[in-house]
Amino acid sequence: MTVPATRKDLMIVNMGPHHPSMHGVLRLIVTLDGEDVINCEPVLGYLHRGMEKIAENRTIIQYLPYVTRWDYLATMFTEAITVNGPEQLGNIQVPKRASYIRAIMLELSRIASHLLWLGPFMADIERELIYDLFEAVTGMRMMHNYFRIGGVAADLPHGWIDKCLDFCNYFLTVVAEYQKLITRNPIFLERVEGVGIIGGEEVINWGLSGPMLRASGIQWDLRKVDHYECYDEFDWEVQWQKEGDSLARYLVRINEMKESIKIIQQALEGIPGGPYENLEVRRFDRTKDSEWNDFEYRFISKKPSPTFELSKQELYVRVEAPKGELGIFLIGDQSIFPWRWKIRPPGFINLQILPQLVKRMKLADIMTILGSIDIIIGEVDR
Amino acid sequence: MKRNYKKAFFIFMDNQFIFKYSWKTTPKKWVHKMERSEHGNRSDTNTDYPFQLLCFLKLHTYTRVQVSIDICGVDHPSRKRRFEVVHNLLSTRYNSRIRVQTSADEVTRISPVVSPFPSAGRWEREVWDMSGVSSINHPDLRRISTDYGFEGHPLRKDLPLSGYVEVRYDDPEKRVVSEPIEMTQEFRYFDSASPWEQRSDG
Repeated sequence: MTVPATRKDLMIVNMGPHHPSMHGVLRLIVTLDGEDVINCEPVLGYLHRGMEKIAENRTIIQYLPYVTRWDYLATMFTEAITVNGPEQLGNIQVPKRASYIRAIMLELSRIASHLLWLGPFMADIERELIYDLFEAVTGMRMMHNYFRIGGVAADLPHGWIDKCLDFCNYFLTVVAEYQKLITRNPIFLERVEGVGIIGGEEVINWGLSGPMLRASGIQWDLRKVDHYECYDEFDWEVQWQKEGDSLARYLVRINEMKESIKIIQQALEGIPGGPYENLEVRRFDRTKDSEWNDFEYRFISKKPSPTFELSKQELYVRVEAPKGELGIFLIGDQSIFPWRWKIRPPGFINLQILPQLVKRMKLADIMTILGSIDIIIGEVDR
Repeated sequence: MKRNYKKAFFIFMDNQFIFKYSWKTTPKKWVHKMERSEHGNRSDTNTDYPFQLLCFLKLHTYTRVQVSIDICGVDHPSRKRRFEVVHNLLSTRYNSRIRVQTSADEVTRISPVVSPFPSAGRWEREVWDMSGVSSINHPDLRRISTDYGFEGHPLRKDLPLSGYVEVRYDDPEKRVVSEPIEMTQEFRYFDSASPWEQRSDG
């Protein structure tokens, strides 16, 4: 009886760009040997929209609606960083109340992003609650356009703080439920434990950031290290794990959500009164100390397009987005448009480690690993 | 107790330390200008030397810059060497950042920094794709963000914002074709340099 000869050559499979379980348009060229993966090469560029070139032709206010389209799940972070850059260049102070409001929004956005990562079938209800809160404040559920240079666009509506506190209390019970449901689940553990291990040294070598870094034993969180906004006034801990596999990343993200709730509760209890936007530009070169009704008085107005000029300096500003370290390298020209606006997306760097992680894994594990890296193609491609 | 110790150590080795240290110890032919500002430290070097300088910064005990955060290309058309390649680096050990910049023109090639920093592979591909500055001996230099068959380098200042070609699906040929661009409305440029409302008349 003849046995059919087994084929020895490798099979190359193309997954994507359109694929139901892909996190956006990402094309993976996977080389398989049977069911083991030999090599996996991600091909990017399907969602490239030229964000950086557009930024060179728009003022900051005009550019703000674009930035929410990079990482469309954690939109407050992209806005925060777009606004932080010119603020630091121009030495603009942000009033305390605005700083607290920003911190609350950022942490809510972090929870929303982690919830989407957690799985649409589990966490949609809670995400909808967060989107309702955002809609009450900013007018839009996802693409907010809320942050402004010197503060935020509008103040919190009446009664929002109580609603937010209710949400926090509800959310803590829900997270406890998820943990009971998922973390002890043997099927989940089998798929996730020991899969996609990255060591501490390698993580730093490859320049990863965010939960991937913290799951491999390195306690590096930009909110603690950089002391930005008003995070120093709250009492919270950096969440980290040691093993570096997908389970560790999952645990880091769940714990980060709980920590975010703690921060939000503290911020809501301690939010000061005061202005929510700093409408005066403190330092500008052309006119020195002009009177408020002088012809040359410059201020950031809401309409028409404000004439905020970026000084001729370079600056790298960064923020701890839920995916990792989101950064903008900003070169100002003495004009309203930036000269170079380079976006450093966390997903771009975190994706580089994918070919190494999937070697010797099964085909089905690619999805688990890709999910645990948590990328959004909107920001990878810009 | 242990935690307090670490904190004190970090405060001692502050941002300026690795900067001043590297300025004093690197050979002068590698670094020809160093500048320090409130917005970050930067050092300028020639095109042959980024590899050596970055290896030094990565491996030396007192600088330990192990993470390459970002590499980007900047175009200044008015300068003779029009491109500037900026490497943003981070040291997690000492919590400080430093920028290394090189100037290049259209035909100069930069030494790649992929071997000390594996994450630089994609960044250098992007610098090649967007600005046209290539690296010598790069393991994999192809375009990364632009379309298959795109000509030109988008982030150069001489390529206009709307580009030169547009794509559409051509039904007789049953594929996507690129054609020269056709705009129904001309490019609207709002001059917002003056705080007074501009009236668009005439």
